[in-house]
Amino acid sequence: MERTTPSKLSRLRSDSTLAATPPPTPGFTGPRRSSRLLTSPGPTKLDSDDAPSSLPTPIPSSTKAKRRLSLESPTTDPVTPIRSESKRPKRTTVQYKKVVLGDVEFQVGDDIYVKKQGSVESESEDPDVEECRVCFTPASKSKIMIECDDCLGGFHLQCLKPPLRKIPEGDWICSFCTDKKDGKEVVWPEPPEGKKIKRTAREKLLSGDLHAACIKSIWRETDGTYWLRCVWYRTPEETAAGRQPHNLRRELYRTNDYGDVVINSVLRHCYVMNPEEYQRASDDGDDIFYCEYEYDVNYHNFKRLPDIDDNYAENDESSDYEGDSDGDSDNDDRSLRGTSSNRSRSKVLAANSRKGRAYWLPKIAESKTQENRKRRKQSKLEKASAALSLASRPTSPPCRNKEMEEIETFVKGAIGGQECLGRCLYIHGVPGTGKTMSVRAVMRNLKSEVDSGVLRSFCFIETNGMKLSSPNNIYKNIYEQLSGHAVGWKKALHCLNEHFSNGKKLGKKDQKPIVLLIDELDMLVTRNQSVLYNILDWPTRPNSKLIVIGIANTMDLPEHLSPRISSRMGIQRLCFLPYNHEQLAQIILSRLKGIDAFEDNLIELACRKVAASSGDARRALQICQRASVLAEYRVKQIADAKAKGKSRVCLTDIEGALDEVFKSPHIQRMKMCSKFGKIVLTAMVNELHRTGGEELTFEKLSERVISLCSMHHEVFPGYDTLMRACCLLGDGGIILCEEPKKHMSQKLQLNCSSGSDDVALALKDCSETPWLSLYL
Amino acid sequence: MPTLRSASRGLQSPNEKPNSDSITPSKKRSSSRSRETEAVVCSSPAVPRSDDAVGKVAKCKIISSPTSSRKRLYGDEPTHKPKWNPKDPAQMKAVKEALHVATVPSNVACRDGEQNRIFDFCKECLENDRAGSLYVCGCPGTGKTLSLQKVKNKLLAWSKEVGYEKPEAVSINCTTLTNSSEIFSKILEKFERTCNGLSPLQRLQRIFSQRQSSPPKMMLIIVDEMDYLITSDRSVLHELFMLTTLPFSRCILIGIANAIDLADRFLPKLASLNCKPPVITFRAYNKNQIYEIIQERLKGLGYDVFDPLSLEFCARKVSAASGDMRKALAVCRSAVELLETEIRDSCDLQEFHTVTFDHMDKALSKAFKPKIVDTILSLPLHQQIILYALVNLFNRSKKNSTTVGELNKTYNETWKSIHRNARTAIGAAEFTNMCQGLSDQGLLRLGQSKEEKSRRITLTVDSSDIAYAFKGHRFIQDCKHLEE
Repeated sequence: MERTTPSKLSRLRSDSTLAATPPPTPGFTGPRRSSRLLTSPGPTKLDSDDAPSSLPTPIPSSTKAKRRLSLESPTTDPVTPIRSESKRPKRTTVQYKKVVLGDVEFQVGDDIYVKKQGSVESESEDPDVEECRVCFTPASKSKIMIECDDCLGGFHLQCLKPPLRKIPEGDWICSFCTDKKDGKEVVWPEPPEGKKIKRTAREKLLSGDLHAACIKSIWRETDGTYWLRCVWYRTPEETAAGRQPHNLRRELYRTNDYGDVVINSVLRHCYVMNPEEYQRASDDGDDIFYCEYEYDVNYHNFKRLPDIDDNYAENDESSDYEGDSDGDSDNDDRSLRGTSSNRSRSKVLAANSRKGRAYWLPKIAESKTQENRKRRKQSKLEKASAALSLASRPTSPPCRNKEMEEIETFVKGAIGGQECLGRCLYIHGVPGTGKTMSVRAVMRNLKSEVDSGVLRSFCFIETNGMKLSSPNNIYKNIYEQLSGHAVGWKKALHCLNEHFSNGKKLGKKDQKPIVLLIDELDMLVTRNQSVLYNILDWPTRPNSKLIVIGIANTMDLPEHLSPRISSRMGIQRLCFLPYNHEQLAQIILSRLKGIDAFEDNLIELACRKVAASSGDARRALQICQRASVLAEYRVKQIADAKAKGKSRVCLTDIEGALDEVFKSPHIQRMKMCSKFGKIVLTAMVNELHRTGGEELTFEKLSERVISLCSMHHEVFPGYDTLMRACCLLGDGGIILCEEPKKHMSQKLQLNCSSGSDDVALALKDCSETPWLSLYL
Repeated sequence: MPTLRSASRGLQSPNEKPNSDSITPSKKRSSSRSRETEAVVCSSPAVPRSDDAVGKVAKCKIISSPTSSRKRLYGDEPTHKPKWNPKDPAQMKAVKEALHVATVPSNVACRDGEQNRIFDFCKECLENDRAGSLYVCGCPGTGKTLSLQKVKNKLLAWSKEVGYEKPEAVSINCTTLTNSSEIFSKILEKFERTCNGLSPLQRLQRIFSQRQSSPPKMMLIIVDEMDYLITSDRSVLHELFMLTTLPFSRCILIGIANAIDLADRFLPKLASLNCKPPVITFRAYNKNQIYEIIQERLKGLGYDVFDPLSLEFCARKVSAASGDMRKALAVCRSAVELLETEIRDSCDLQEFHTVTFDHMDKALSKAFKPKIVDTILSLPLHQQIILYALVNLFNRSKKNSTTVGELNKTYNETWKSIHRNARTAIGAAEFTNMCQGLSDQGLLRLGQSKEEKSRRITLTVDSSDIAYAFKGHRFIQDCKHLEE
């Protein structure tokens, strides 16, 4: 980027989203940027030399040297993702929510500039005030600066030729940039004698001399130094795809890369905003950036931020980060106050703090529940039900080694060599047999091999046919993950076609092989099946470097497709058979390792039941979890504290859980019927048995009910009540009845598979009306 | 598979040359490499072959690459025929590449007749300076797209040679169109004339129906997967063919699709206008052709990978099933992979390994053999009983479809006859779940209905297969009396 261009004060965004923003009113025009600069004079300089005075706690001089040493430690470099555990001794760290340095307060969730190691000392005096590109003096109240939307340089309104009176609406591009575009020679004004051009932090960041990061936690080491754990931002140039035409000048990508930074290398605040906030922030100063996507540093693909925040719990990185932070570090709520009072900076911080709060909401909730859990010792049963819940996934499914090996050889066979031969694999199997989990586990293994340099790197893209609003949107989804740019599906299809068949590059760098996992492949079958055709045709193109792995339930999907598609799909199939009971037991036991919550053989009973019906691992886990919950409930009734600790899941619990799953709920409902309802049911069964038919009219039923009632000295409540009882039974789904306006000729029918047997089973031992069993 | 790896080369010289160009270096390299790896293997025979093939690959490469480059520098060409060594990763890679669908042989064997007919047609059109249309049909994987690419290149070369104006060539795959009428705008891109306010079709029609001051170039339009253009009123397809009948039309239209009678079925109007396109049919490959094509692909390697018997077996099976070349190549590839895994797993240091009949048999059965019996036997018990009940129900009632409700009843009876003192069988919700599972496995078909109970069930496999699978089943055999 050219940084010799001038700039202006009020920031009028160039992107189209901003075209609608109202022009700043003259009174306001100003200089929101300069006003910020006036209220908070000078950003803090946190160089190690002058920092100690402003540090919150006096630090012995000996640590100074150490601090500087640690400045050179690899953890300050964003490119090293490895976290050294030794940096954070578990016992002694104290977590803080915010820390005040000088007069600047850093808190969790804030975005900061981080100095690059090595280059820190040389440019220690950072220009905090941006200067006009023409006269080289900073902005002031009388001299408003305007920013060029192309080169991001600032210009005083007066310094322009011709001078501007007020800030123009919409995009504004300086004359230097327009001249340059027209191919004219551009001469930038030279700075006055003895003054050198200083670059602002923003310019340094965008040219790669600074880093930006978001603070995730703050803690103090034993030696008194303050450390920040932060997640890095990257500029588009630092991604594998390179800068794309759609990238904004101020666009950054959040990464999933964490790093530990000593607080001295923090320069000052910057403000990374999501698109909405960015749109609103029309003149908030120079240090604002735009971030819409997260960039995966391992797979080199992009994800939209809101998507990630939705399923935040699934994020591996953050969950294991959570895991080790909850260890023994005591959460310290007191905020560290420095010497200076907190100045009025609320206006500047507003957008940012809001963002932080919104982002960390799920996390805070999580840690709260963890605290609660910590206070009370978990019982065995609680532990068991937590371990068995479907949400707690193991990293790789047990008992699927053979299949995983096959997937691994398939992927390796395709990307192992110098050249990548496109291929396609179809994985099928009934639900709950660990298909997706196996593929993910294989990808994780391969990723670690890539990290160790055995395998060459590849790009892994995952989509789910179920999550697409229409099959065509898969193009959009794939393209977005490949290039980090959301376009319509038609454009995306065009681009992908160009890419795969003509070898047109999506980014600047060399194309990596792409592994595309499509879950629920059968959802992509459209009427003319063109979506599947395109996706399966790409791997057969030369140089496409695409590997497609499709997952679906149906075994014979390729045979149902048109022959041209199944011809392109190839013959590579992988079948996930339903689990047998030994495998199911192994899966459950592997989760319950160290938790002795079940009595002997109970797990086997449940597994045998499930294996006999569907072989679905999810079902088996659900049953066991339900049983442990039932047991927990049962234990709560017991008063004896001693028995409480010892109790385990017993036969009745597991039978209860099995019944809930395998038995139809009819019987339970019949048992819960009113007395009169039971009489009606009995009469119905009796009448049906007598006539031998499937259905009967309301008239016949009422006769039967009246006779039964009179025989056993019950009061017949009348036809109205009988009708209502029938309607209630019908609403409950126990019987089927026609619309009630037919009155007497209304037909009724039992709605259970085995008819009268179910009713007999349900009403056999009814204490209220024991005579019912006579008629069943 | 429209674009070809050697297509760009073929443009310059459509003869045999590109083949030798592209193949020889790799041959040289691989042969020298093979010798190297043999040496490696021989020097350490006591070491059992380790399971990590990757490490081995790396090792071999490191050792062999410098020598091979030196050899090439000195132009030291190996005189003897190199021996096939499946342990050599480079050779293995070359074989796999040769058998990959995306790799395109320099000349498409066995399609000379068809190619010549298409070429002659285009040549005639060019010579007489008139428009024309042609329809090419054939099963998937019979080399239609490939042949047309060859014809296109040949035609371009021919026109250059003879001195005609070079025709403009457009290849469009209709699956990539977002809207079927988009095809006209794609064709129009070549003309770059602006007449505003008209749709692309109208613009094309205007260009072709009026005498232009500068007549446009001849145009060769290849429309792949043409049946995707069929709309409810067939107007797009019709207009496309009608373009060639306009008085000043200068385009040669070649449509490709699978259906043999696309033009007759969907464009009866064309026949009445006497402009029905001639049809060229690509027949499915027979066994000799498949054999020949695979041989052709492997010829460049210079070593015998396959046992001739195994290749013939593959050719026979594939030609009997579909005659799909892609399938044949995939089968061969998986046979090679089988050999690879076998070599990796086995410990004996046998010198010579080719892909034998056994490997091919395994690969073929993976691709073609129906696995119904195996599938049924691997089902969970209750699903087996459902199937059994279904077959019994059909046998008794002499019908061939039933509903979920009825089947549930029969299933309950069957279950009780097996387990006399059993508690009630599985409930209705789980029962539908199991039926869904069976339909996922492709054993029965579940119809759609508003109510779960009244969904229709039909059997998609033969009941004799099911009876065969249940022979000797530990539960079902006990209740033989149910079966008539």
